[in-house]
This record gives sequence, C-alpha cells and structure tokens, in this order.
Amino acid sequence: MTVFHFFNCAILTFGPHAVYYSATPLSEYDTFGTSVKAAIVYLGTALVKLVCLATFLKVPENDSFDPYQELLKALIGFIDVAGLYFALTQLTHRNISQNHKFQAVGLGWAFADSVLHRLAPLWVGARGLEFTWEYILQGLEANANLVLTVSLAALGSLMWLRKNKPRTLVPIIYACAGILATMPSITSYLRRGLGWHFPKVVGFELFASLAMAFISWQLFSACQKPSA
Amino acid sequence: MAGSKGREGEMLESIYSVLALVFILVACVELGDAATVVDVYRLIQYDLAGVPFGSRLASLNHHAGSLPFAPGADLSRTVVIIPFREVNITFLRDYIMQRQPLGGLLLLLPQNISSESREEAEEGDRNNGKELIRSELAELEKLLVHVNIPYPVYFAFEDDKITAVLADVKTNDATGQPATATTGGYKLVVSTPEPKKLASPTITNIQGWLPGLKADGDVNQLPTIAIVASYDTFGAAPALSVGSDSNGSGVVALLEIARLFSLLYSNPKTRGRYNLLFGLTSGGPYNYNGTFKWLQSFDQRLRESIDYAICLNSIGSWDDELWIHVSKPPENAYIKQVFEVAWEHEQFSKSRVTAVTLSELSVAPELLESTGGLSDSRHFVNGIAVSRSVKLVAESLARHIYGHQGKNIQIFADGSSLAVNPFYIQSWLDLMSQTPRVAPFLPKNDPFILALKKELADHTAEVNVQHEALDGIFTFYDLTKASLNIYQVASVTFDLLLLLVLGSYLIILFSFLVITTRGLDDLISLFRRPPSRKVKMA
Repeated sequence: MTVFHFFNCAILTFGPHAVYYSATPLSEYDTFGTSVKAAIVYLGTALVKLVCLATFLKVPENDSFDPYQELLKALIGFIDVAGLYFALTQLTHRNISQNHKFQAVGLGWAFADSVLHRLAPLWVGARGLEFTWEYILQGLEANANLVLTVSLAALGSLMWLRKNKPRTLVPIIYACAGILATMPSITSYLRRGLGWHFPKVVGFELFASLAMAFISWQLFSACQKPSA
Repeated sequence: MAGSKGREGEMLESIYSVLALVFILVACVELGDAATVVDVYRLIQYDLAGVPFGSRLASLNHHAGSLPFAPGADLSRTVVIIPFREVNITFLRDYIMQRQPLGGLLLLLPQNISSESREEAEEGDRNNGKELIRSELAELEKLLVHVNIPYPVYFAFEDDKITAVLADVKTNDATGQPATATTGGYKLVVSTPEPKKLASPTITNIQGWLPGLKADGDVNQLPTIAIVASYDTFGAAPALSVGSDSNGSGVVALLEIARLFSLLYSNPKTRGRYNLLFGLTSGGPYNYNGTFKWLQSFDQRLRESIDYAICLNSIGSWDDELWIHVSKPPENAYIKQVFEVAWEHEQFSKSRVTAVTLSELSVAPELLESTGGLSDSRHFVNGIAVSRSVKLVAESLARHIYGHQGKNIQIFADGSSLAVNPFYIQSWLDLMSQTPRVAPFLPKNDPFILALKKELADHTAEVNVQHEALDGIFTFYDLTKASLNIYQVASVTFDLLLLLVLGSYLIILFSFLVITTRGLDDLISLFRRPPSRKVKMA
C-alpha cells in the first residue's frame, strides 16, 4: 500500500496549487500562461542560485549553525527576490489586473518550487515499505510555502508595480518583504541553531505563513483604497 | 512545408520515446530504504538418504509477531521472533511435530556467544550461566537439525535495534491485535532466490609427512605413527558453525604437535626412528567419511607400516578427565559393514590399523551431535586444556619414539625451547573460532584449507591434499546467510484515513477560496443547475 502513500503525499503537496488555481478567478481569466512563465523564471533563478552556492559556500563538517555561512545563504536568497521582480515586471503578460497578476506569478513560482524540491524525494522515498511522517510534513511545508510565496508576490507587486502608496505604509511593506525573503534562513536557524525537530519547524512555518498572509492582505487592501 | 513538418514529427516522436524511457527508469528506482537491516543465518537444509530435514524455505515477507501466541490466531502469515532465553523446547517441539502453520521463525541468540564478542571465559558464576546456555543451545540445535520444517527459520544475534523492534511488537501484540496488513506493525523481509541443491560437495583431506631417520643399510620401511584430527563441522546454522571445541581444539593440538616434532626432527641427531603422518580430515560429522576415503587412498605398504594412529576429538574444555577410546579390530572385515561410525579410530579399525581416539567426551556422540554447532563457540574452549593435551600426547609419543619408557624425562618441559607455545595455540583457536567449516560449503580452494596446508607444510617435509566427493546419502542446499530488512509499515486503514482527511482538507480549501474571492453565491451556483434557463426554454 505504499503507492497509496505516495499518492496521498502527492495530493497534499501539489493539490493546493491546483485547487488555488481552479477556485479563484484565476481560472476564469485564463492566467495559466502567466503561471507557466513564472515557473520557468523560477527554474532559471534556481540554476543561478545553485551556481552561486556552489562557488561561494563551504561544505559544512557538522550540522551546526554557522552565522557566516547562513548570512551568505541569505544574500544568495535575495536572488530569489530578483527573480520575482523579473517575473512580475519584465515579462509581458496579457491584460490582467494587478490583483490576479501577483497571484498567478506566486502560484507558478510556488508550484515550480514544490516540484523541484519535493517531487524527487517523494517519488523515491514514499513508495518504499517503510513508513515515516516525513513526507506528510514535507507536504505541509509545501502548503506553507505556497502561502508565503503568494504573500511575497503580493508585496512585490506593491513595491514595484504600484506607484502611489501611502507614505506611512512603505517601510512596513519593505520590512515584511524582507522577512518573507529571509524565511529560509530563519527556518534553517531554527533547525540547526536551536535544534528544533522537523514537525515543530513545519508548525512554525504554517503559523508564520498564515500571519504574513494576513498582514500582506491588510497591506494590499490598504494600498488599494486610494485608487478605488 | 511537408519536410519541416516531417522533421517536427520526428522530433516529437524522439522526445516521447525519451520521456517514456525516463519514466521506465524512474519507476525502477531501487527501494532499499529499510530502517533496520540485520544479518541473519539460515537453519541448515539437507536430505539424508532422500528424507528432508531442516528448514525448506528461504525467502520471507511477513509481519512480525511474538510469544505468547494468541489463542486461535492464524500465524501462517506471521514471523515469530523468539529470543533465546524465552525458548521453551517442549513447546517448540510440540509445535513443530504437530505441523502447525507458521510464516517463519526468527531466533535471537545472546550476543556473548557470537564470534565478534571478545569476552574471555571466567571462573565462577559466569561459567555456570554459560554452561546452562551451552546445554540449552545444544538441545535446541538437536531439535532443529532432526526435524523437517516447511517454513524459513533464521538465527540472528541480539542487538539494540532488534531488541527495540521486539519490544514494540510485544506491546502491539499485548493489545490483542496481531499485526496484519490492516493494522500496521513491522514487516520482516528476506529476499533471496529459492535454495538450490549443492552439486557434488567436496571434502578435502590434508596430510603431512615427517620422515624418520633411516639408519644406513636399513632396507626395511620405518614404522609410522599417525596423528589425525577432523577439521570440519556441522550445526544448525552452517554460517555460525565454528566448532571451537569440536574439533577446532583437535586441529590446533595437531598443528602444535607437528610444530614440536618438526623442531625435533629438523636435527638428524634428534630425529626419531619413526615416520610421523599428520592427517587433517574432513567429513567428520558424516561417519568420518573423509577418514575412510583417506585410508582407502593409502597404498598397502604405507598402511601396513602404521604402528598405530591417535585421533584427536574435542580436547579443549576438560578439567581433569580425558578419555582414550579403543575398539577391537573386527574379526572378519566383510561381516559387518558398520553404517554408523561413532569415533574416528573405528575407520582405522575397519582397515585393520590399530587406533585410539583421545577425547574429553566419555560417551560416543550420536550422528550429527557434538559436531561443533551453535553451542560451540570460543568461550567454551580454553587454551590451557589444549596445551595440557598437547603436552600429554607429545610426551607419550616421544617416550615411545625415543624409548624413554619408565624414565622420568620431560622433553617438552615448560620454559625450554621445546615448550608448548600457548600463544600459538591461542591464535589458532581464535582463527578456528571465526571460521565456519561445514564441509559442503567449503570449496576446494577455500583460503582456510590453503592456510591449513601452508601451516602443515611449514612443519612437515611433504604435504598432500586429497579432494573427494562427499558420500551420496547426504544432500545439502545452499543459502546460509542473508540480510533481513525490518520495515515499519502503516496499515491500510491509516492510508484510507489520511486520504479522507486530505480530501476534506482540499474541499474545505476550495470552498474557502471560492467564498473569499468570488463570493458565497458562486459556490452555491457551482452545485445547482440554474433552473431559470429550463423554464425559459420551455
């Protein structure tokens, strides 16, 4: 019954993306092309990140938290942000509203991330006889990642695509975007530096993603008001 | 136009075939991900004159269970794990004799009898405990070797991982639900091919010849004294049958005696007037088949020149009693073809050669008993007993050879250059205790046989190796060692439950997203066909 388990974990990991696409107006406005383009940009970004990591990072001897290495990883993580910028601003999209553009880009980005990072371990590991909770936790992590990415895309579109923003909110926007961008470093610090177990880390990610999503939503609607 | 389209079509086709290949490769990814992998040793499988004995199957793929059995439970798809201290011989015997079905049996042996552990034999309580273990192991072995078991039986050594698994299995069983496909638990998997018959197993005899001093002008053949020990073993787990006492002690004693006499014979002034013939024979557990064939290969002159032969059998764990067993040569060799030969010297007697067996056993062992099985590990033999036996035999031989009977001379005195070397004995005993030596599983050019040959060649002038086929009445099957994978599996109900939970999660997510982005009306409209249209059409 292990292909069954693989099927379950696959639903958990990739289902929400499909549900998000079909449930929201994204499917009505046929923004599939945008998502695909965002996914391709993500692949390119991942390649660039890989090369940078391989060039600048040392292989750690033990699994402890090395601040210097983590700082370097965080800096390289900003390449992600650059990639999102590219996907949001530089690509030519069909005439879709701001609202839907960032959602489509975020969705495509998160889907590519899940496939790249989680499909192969799932295929190799979840089909075995041995049962572990790991793949279910990985699926939950994918869900949290989706929410985080969409929030980041929202804040990104606020930063780069919207010209008239209320002055007071601008620093908050940048601060939240910064937190979202450095989320991978935060989780790695929790896992290595504080020694949290995987379930705890995933729980933190879920909670953080929901919190950040709420904050981004508020910011977005606050910025919408002047133009409405 | 058509050309480019054709090329496009070809490209698409090649892409499809590459994709198909990738899928096939990915599907064949090896799933070797067990949490625990344990080395296990299979119970021996053999036929004696066509009658099957031992465990007849090798591959295993069932859930784990433990004692005590739930009444009325169906165990034909359960592998029962029994640690050695919980084995109840009578219960096991009844269970096997009544041919009750079982998926498999995994017996856990105490760690301290494995060849890996390096505990030294100590006096006192420890010894008593060990003696008890030894006799219980011998009883278990005797039971398992003489019955026909239609399911796989494996031995493993207890370690932390497997003890943890067993504790888990016991708590699960205690709740009254034996593990099956629907209730989860542990799954034990041994994937091996079907065991096959071993075609023409060979037994190898190694002999060393130390010639005596022939006086000038002496035309007669010098008399010969033979010293013989059989080196192979037989036991319930062939991969664990190291036979430290039976007959590792005999082999080590023979090598040490050869070494001592080679020192004496190297100098013509101290060379005796007797030839010495050292024989390391195989086929011991099978009525000393190898010894019989070895004797058959002698030519008449050699056989007649043998004054007597001393056979060494199990001289490694005696305290104050050592026995010499003799037998009268049969009056008429054709009258009685003895089927069962209890001692090695009886094979010599059949060829009308005087022989004795020196042993710590007071009674002859039965067929396939005391042949160096599970219970015969390094702890149960000690070098001091072997040294004493060596000294005894060497001094007696020397007295006979050099004619010192009645005089109180010690040739191999302690501290002299001819003293018995305890380190030599210890190191060879250690080697014997780490080498399983069941004859059908020892190929002709096994490194161990070559090592024995080389050692004997160091001490004697001439070494011969004789390969023979093992007697036809014994047939052996291969596969003595395997790897057991222990998987922790979730039950089908768990997977179904998870599917249900995920399904409802996705449905809730869908509804939530529809409500927040499109409004509640949209959600309801998804499920209700608009009735107004039908009315309009009508």
